[in-house]
Amino acid sequence: MNKIIKELVTPFVAIIIAILIGACVMILTGHNPLTAYGALFSGAFGSTVNLSNTMANAIPLILSGLGVAIAFKAGLFNIGAEGQYWIGSMAAVWIGYSVHGLPPILHISLAVLVSILAAGLWAGIIPGLAKALVGAHEVITTMMMSYIAIFLSHYMLENGPMMQPGFVPQSPVILPSAMLGKIVDRTQLSWGLVIALVVCVIVYWLLYKTTLGYRLRAVGLNSRAAKYAGINVSFNLVLALFISGMLAGLAGVVQMLGVQHRLYDSFSSGYGFTAIVVAILANNNPFGVILASIFFAALSTGGQSMQLVSGVPAHLTDVISGIIIFLIASKDVISLVQKRWRRRHSLAPVKEA
Amino acid sequence: MKKSRFLGCIALVLILTMSLVGCANKTEAPKAEAPAKSEFKVGLVTDVGGLNDHSFNFLANKGLEQAEKELGIKKAVVESKQMTDYETNLSRFAQDKYNLVIAVGFLMQDAVVKVSKDYPDTKFMIIDSSITDRPNVASAMFKTEQCGYLVGVMAGLLEKTPGIPNALGKNTVGLVGGMAIPPVNDYIAGFIQGARSVNPGITVNLKYTNKFDDPALGKQTALSEIAGGADIVFPIAGGTGTGVIDAAKEKNAYAIGVDADQNYLAPENVITSALKGMDVATFNIIKNAKEGQFKSGDILFDLSNNGVGFATPTKVVPKEVVDKVNDAAKQIKDGKITVTNKMPAGF
Repeated sequence: MNKIIKELVTPFVAIIIAILIGACVMILTGHNPLTAYGALFSGAFGSTVNLSNTMANAIPLILSGLGVAIAFKAGLFNIGAEGQYWIGSMAAVWIGYSVHGLPPILHISLAVLVSILAAGLWAGIIPGLAKALVGAHEVITTMMMSYIAIFLSHYMLENGPMMQPGFVPQSPVILPSAMLGKIVDRTQLSWGLVIALVVCVIVYWLLYKTTLGYRLRAVGLNSRAAKYAGINVSFNLVLALFISGMLAGLAGVVQMLGVQHRLYDSFSSGYGFTAIVVAILANNNPFGVILASIFFAALSTGGQSMQLVSGVPAHLTDVISGIIIFLIASKDVISLVQKRWRRRHSLAPVKEA
Repeated sequence: MKKSRFLGCIALVLILTMSLVGCANKTEAPKAEAPAKSEFKVGLVTDVGGLNDHSFNFLANKGLEQAEKELGIKKAVVESKQMTDYETNLSRFAQDKYNLVIAVGFLMQDAVVKVSKDYPDTKFMIIDSSITDRPNVASAMFKTEQCGYLVGVMAGLLEKTPGIPNALGKNTVGLVGGMAIPPVNDYIAGFIQGARSVNPGITVNLKYTNKFDDPALGKQTALSEIAGGADIVFPIAGGTGTGVIDAAKEKNAYAIGVDADQNYLAPENVITSALKGMDVATFNIIKNAKEGQFKSGDILFDLSNNGVGFATPTKVVPKEVVDKVNDAAKQIKDGKITVTNKMPAGF
């Protein structure tokens, strides 16, 4: 129990400070922070529709956040989740519109399987093998692969093989048999939520209850020690990136089959990048990822109604998430200061005695 | 001792935030329910470019503000942060019983089709996208190839005119398109036809950024075009275009604004702008809807009803050039020149 609370302190304090700084910005720009945050809160959770949309927004964040978290656990910084998301999306949409005559269960399963394999290989083969064999840093390689994936989608859609006949650079709509049903009508909330929650439990089980997860974490904690203990480090690095890519890809699949139903050109989804923030805020804990995802999804959904009611630009929520990242990243600095302060104060009474 | 103090701290923080949220809700609640029933409410959803794109969303909002002043409607604006927001934002307005919901931009087509089915009693207006099979959706369509043609004529003539300060003399113009989609390519097709009608040898350097919200990319693209000999650049790229104008300013080149009169962005460099009367269209459709004259389907705006045009050129443009452009405008209105929105071969 105590451990859980301790884990929650840093993100919690970071969020509070960020919200307070956000409030200062609002006051300085002549807005009432209470109205604004109230609107943000009710816009995110205030009605069934709003809550559903927040949860819908959280789904891709949960999945790609889990992907980034699992890589972190193995000591890898997968910042290419965005690209893996695109690969997953592309494959899912392609299966979604080109394979005819399957019952929904099979069609959806096929789309999910093919896409997560594609995304997993995208992350596993080049960045994974490059890291394992020649030590190429995954920050560079996953990022570069990410750009390749995004530009590949441009190629596919802009007069490319996946473009819908006509002028618009977008793919055809997927067949109804590939669409995930809605939990709540007239919202974007699909049964993808259940997928996300189940996957979260699986990831937890994998990391903490299996030998495989133990090995991944051992490699992450100290790869030399792991090697000394007889763990195949190279294999586990590739595997970690592979699983990480699969999860980010799954985020794309669920988003395509559940919400968008077709691939649009050009705009970054942003989920792959927010996923990094989610994983950091959650301290790579799978269940923390759910909470952090809902938090960021609420900021984004609620931000829209905040600007409507209070006139505060929705981009202020970006400021808030920026501050949170900053604070969490500087966690080590804070704990360093804390240690010094404590030492000084614990030394003082000793002298008196 | 330490533990309990620590827990106490957390409890305090929790209570504080709860109370914060609590009072926030209290202050907010009456405001949301305030609007009277008789009011005509218009909601506007921008695309990801945002209100400060200096063109597209900005203009639609201008029309909305004019309607607020002159027609006494109640307005609300939401800026979409990502493409998945479109549907949510449109439905939010429909749910709050707004009478007319305006979707700015082509990219919102899917969302409008979906939401207009879910809320058949709400009227929708979409700019730049033709939705003809929904009885509650009006589509404002612009013949921007016409104003593109006119600024094309102007650019073509300027490249031929000797003595223009800072001209590079390479008979080259640079175009920066946001995406290869009809609302962008209509301008470009018109521009090329116009430029070639007066200057057949002109080189038109066209690049797409594939982003409407990235001024840095726009600037980079324009700088490379200027380095390639273009002394007039014409961005058709929403928010990305402000970067193109920035590049022109930095390199002392000329720029042609798009959608709105963008001269204020760089008074020395923006010689004219191809105008797309989204403010006119937004205002007109709001007015019709308020007066119960809402019409669904395509509503066309072109030179003849001031739906498109060009902004008064700066002093850099010689009077005889302006006269020739005005002449071309008259010929288009009279039907003597037909401008197509088909991209010429090679583009």
